[in-house]
Amino acid sequence: MLTKRLVELIQSNASELSRSIVKQILSHPTTTSYRNIGENTLFDMIHDICSRFSYWLSEDNERGEVKEHYRNLGKQRFQQGIALPEVISALYLTKRKLWEFMTAERDVNSSLDLNQILETSFLLVRFFDHAVLHVTEGYEEMLKEKYGYVAPLEDPARFEEALAEKEKKMATIEEEPRLPELCFTKGMIRLET
Amino acid sequence: MLEKMIEMIEKNAPAMAEDLKSRLLNNPDTKSFRTLDDEALYEDIHALYSRIGYWLMRDPEKGDVKSYYMELGKRRRMEGFPLRELVRYLILTKRHIWDTVSQKGLMDAPAELNSGIDLITYLNRFFDFAIYYTTLGYYKSLGV
Repeated sequence: MLTKRLVELIQSNASELSRSIVKQILSHPTTTSYRNIGENTLFDMIHDICSRFSYWLSEDNERGEVKEHYRNLGKQRFQQGIALPEVISALYLTKRKLWEFMTAERDVNSSLDLNQILETSFLLVRFFDHAVLHVTEGYEEMLKEKYGYVAPLEDPARFEEALAEKEKKMATIEEEPRLPELCFTKGMIRLET
Repeated sequence: MLEKMIEMIEKNAPAMAEDLKSRLLNNPDTKSFRTLDDEALYEDIHALYSRIGYWLMRDPEKGDVKSYYMELGKRRRMEGFPLRELVRYLILTKRHIWDTVSQKGLMDAPAELNSGIDLITYLNRFFDFAIYYTTLGYYKSLGV
């Protein structure tokens, strides 16, 4: 069950929060390429998250629309020439602002149940975890399409080869000769191999 | 209370590291980790869990958090890992810590909830930077 009150608080402050997030992304040193994207486009995107917070956070959407939306966003940012670390940083800056807003409410609004804050925090974290993961997947798809880059271990033959190499290495370690055992017999040392 | 949670993680580091290692090796979404030496994988996870207090209290924007995770991204890229598996690994690690704290009943009392929120704050801050720098290290070594 979504923690309705806190979510409503975010949704009713969506415009103000979005403006503040856009301002931060456009001035942050880890997201400089975003300055090439129209401010309004960026605002609309972030406003969509804040104003429909309960929708995005619901579990059903995580598997469907969130996955599709953020995979596409990863592809789109690739085509716009924005490096993946910048895309991830922009998502984290957004999360951090929402996080600060929620925890600030804990300090000024004593009627808010801590359980609600904890639960909403958890949902927020889960949502952005999925967003970052799917953006990365979308970006990797474009790396393959544009540059033909596929991580070597994605190739089944290379993967099997790497596993076989590991097995071989482990077997070598196990087969290393043991030191002879020392047997003490009436003051004499006998080596047993 | 936050100290108590951190102490619990550090004290249980060997069992937790073994558990996460086993989850990673059995998860089809992190299958590249199967190509790593089991002992080395355990040691990597254990090194984080056994000193989680140190790592969480560091300034993650600079210093050893930055250099460690940039190097990790670069190294795993050279070992052939897809980036999404590294991102998933870090997300799973964060969740594993959180789930363990929850399961140990360290947030049952109302007074402990504030510490729970503080722990999520620290965990998130740390793992956000860990994922960002891992991605940066990986991406830079791609040379695109």
